[in-house]
Amino acid sequence: MPAKPVSKQVPSRGGIFSKFKGNIEAIAIGVKFFFNPQRFTLIYPKEYIKLKEGYRGFIVLRKDKCINCGSCARICPAAAMRLIRLPFTDPKTGKTRMKLWPVINYNRCIFCGYCVDVCPTEALYHVPYHDVVYETMDVMDLDLEEFQKEPEWDAEKLGLPVKYVVDEKMGLVKVRIKEEGEKQ
Amino acid sequence: MSGILDAIIKIITWPPLWQLVVLGLLIPLGVVVFILWFERKTAARVQRRIGPYHVSPKIAGGLQLIADLMRYMFQEVIIPKTVDKFPFIVAPLAALILSIVPVVAIPFTSIEAYFPIDMSYSLIISLALLTLSPLFIILSGWASNNKFSVIGGMREAYLITAYELVAVLAFLSAGAITGSFNLVDIVEAQSGVKWFIILNPLAFAAAFIGVLLSTSGFPFEIAESEHEVVAGAFTEYSGLVYGMNMGAAYLKRMIFSIMIAVVFLGGWQPYTPGEGFIAGYLVPSIVILIKATVLMMIFSFFRAVYGRYRLDQALDIAWKILFPLAVLGFGLGLLEAYLGII
Repeated sequence: MPAKPVSKQVPSRGGIFSKFKGNIEAIAIGVKFFFNPQRFTLIYPKEYIKLKEGYRGFIVLRKDKCINCGSCARICPAAAMRLIRLPFTDPKTGKTRMKLWPVINYNRCIFCGYCVDVCPTEALYHVPYHDVVYETMDVMDLDLEEFQKEPEWDAEKLGLPVKYVVDEKMGLVKVRIKEEGEKQ
Repeated sequence: MSGILDAIIKIITWPPLWQLVVLGLLIPLGVVVFILWFERKTAARVQRRIGPYHVSPKIAGGLQLIADLMRYMFQEVIIPKTVDKFPFIVAPLAALILSIVPVVAIPFTSIEAYFPIDMSYSLIISLALLTLSPLFIILSGWASNNKFSVIGGMREAYLITAYELVAVLAFLSAGAITGSFNLVDIVEAQSGVKWFIILNPLAFAAAFIGVLLSTSGFPFEIAESEHEVVAGAFTEYSGLVYGMNMGAAYLKRMIFSIMIAVVFLGGWQPYTPGEGFIAGYLVPSIVILIKATVLMMIFSFFRAVYGRYRLDQALDIAWKILFPLAVLGFGLGLLEAYLGII
């Protein structure tokens, strides 16, 4: 059985005067913001959001802590981490052996952080930023030397750190973070 | 040599040419470029953004508009195969020209030597010319042979029924007060603080909102609403012709603002035109243009505050609120004329 068509009417809210009042209020808010703008646009290269510790950004290897277990490569869901075989000279015994070292391919990495979590000796750690630019896709496949360096962070050199805090009246508000040594 | 120079100056300052080209086209174009920048900046300020910035950070992105203009100028003008070519090209031109022609019938001074035409029925003539240009917007929508264009044109047609009566009645209330259609008389009657915005605020409110309606100002930007009908009647246009279409609405709003400045805001008052070209013509026109620019800034401020009404809501407002308001304003004008306030 087909549905019966029902004509619905939206009840009008308030009379002319309440509508007039609403318009005046809207314009008043507009004028208030016009003379006292509370902007929160991030002017990106000149400002950057300082992220907290524990943010899952780019991953760096501490080679001296690594025990070559390969857990990071095994757990990686995107197969970004892989193991390469390189000779390693033990400083105590002076013998040279082939060992498996992890390297990362940022073309594949999804920044899930499983490798950092699973590492038994905390040889991997995150840096708290993600805005790093590589010129080509080949460069994003890191080798062991590159994997041990923290990637270059241009935003920190160019800009000032800011953070967003929730204000009860204004909603989100952009606040400049004072650097160390700067006057509060 | 000086004879040629004198002749050139004489031709340029010949009132019809001066008024149409300089006061009607060049200065309003400059004002429109400023207003476009101001509109974007104001909307950004109110909505907690920054607006145009990266093109020239030191002057708050002022060159962004020039960059946009360049982009429009060098874009290819595409004329689709399915359009009706003659009206497709002629309609935007006609709309643009008819938006600026009314400036000829508006006096910028009280000295008769600087009138482009006889001013005795100038209020009627300028209003009549101002109400012509939307017809060509409908025509361009029809000629585009595109469903969005046709819907946009039809929306414009609906809106004409909404605003035309309101705006015309509101402007005519000035004629009701003074008993004259001569804009010079209307301005002279507003000497002192007897501006018609104070004497007849109802008609001013009706005229103000009527102008917003007629030039798709923001609460009533219905005919070109991007989210619903792409660009309304201008969907098929590209390049400079599209820019011309968009500029025509702003130019029309500028001419309407000049009309409001003359009819309701005292024209060249409190300045009194003196002798000669500069004191008698240039300074009073600058006073009027400043008033019109301030009005334009208020118009563009509304973009930051309001959303968009639906078509039926706009018609509802126009017929149920604005039309009685305009009639009341007209009645108030007649009452003031009867009581002899002027």
